[in-house]
Amino acid sequence: MKEVLAVIRMNKMNETKQALVEAGIASFTARKVIGRGVGKVDYLLLKGAEAGHEEAINQLGPGPKLIPKRMLIVVVPDTTVPRVVSTIIDVNQTGNPGDGKIFVMPVSETIRLRTGECDHAALDESAD
Amino acid sequence: MIMVRAIIRPEKTDDVLAALMDAGFPAVTKMDVYGRGKQRGMKIGEVTYDELPKEMIFTVIKDSDKDYVVKIIMQAARTGVKGAYGDGKIFISPVDEVYTVSSGRKETAEDAAPVAAAVSA
Repeated sequence: MKEVLAVIRMNKMNETKQALVEAGIASFTARKVIGRGVGKVDYLLLKGAEAGHEEAINQLGPGPKLIPKRMLIVVVPDTTVPRVVSTIIDVNQTGNPGDGKIFVMPVSETIRLRTGECDHAALDESAD
Repeated sequence: MIMVRAIIRPEKTDDVLAALMDAGFPAVTKMDVYGRGKQRGMKIGEVTYDELPKEMIFTVIKDSDKDYVVKIIMQAARTGVKGAYGDGKIFISPVDEVYTVSSGRKETAEDAAPVAAAVSA
């Protein structure tokens, strides 16, 4: 089993949900996060801008700050990982920086609380 | 690649993010979390608070940067010189694959290297 953790744009959430369901991956967890990418931020300026100093806001410009994003967590069998990744990339790709990142991590055990089923039996059958 | 998840004090978040930026690790995600540690929360008078607000920050880095990043977070997140209960925890887990959505490319550890080098230069 793998955990696919994707950080995507806020406004792509609905399309992503729709596309994942159409691809047969209905179950996932989402939450709001904020973060930054590989751009550089000057913290003194940022603090000044937050305090409302005009000079700092002007100097800061349109560069990267901490940006709100949505994080998706999908746990799927190993064989489904490429489908999840390609679905998320297809929907979210605009070609601009800030589209997000996808991380694939191993999961050692899954348990369904309702029945106590373990591992693959506990995962959504529709994903197979 | 590995993922470093650090649960830290909310008031230390800016320090940690700034320290990571200076060290050449700009890409970070953070979220608000609530939890307790092995001190079972905090007792003030008669009231026990067992859901303390913390910030979780996570970043994905090369395996070889692990010790360096952990040291940076540790230094920035610690209160005082010796630290105190509630300063937080750092968890490290493996990441098999990393994709960048904008390019659709699968990243490797070698791709991460120039970014860190460019910022520190």
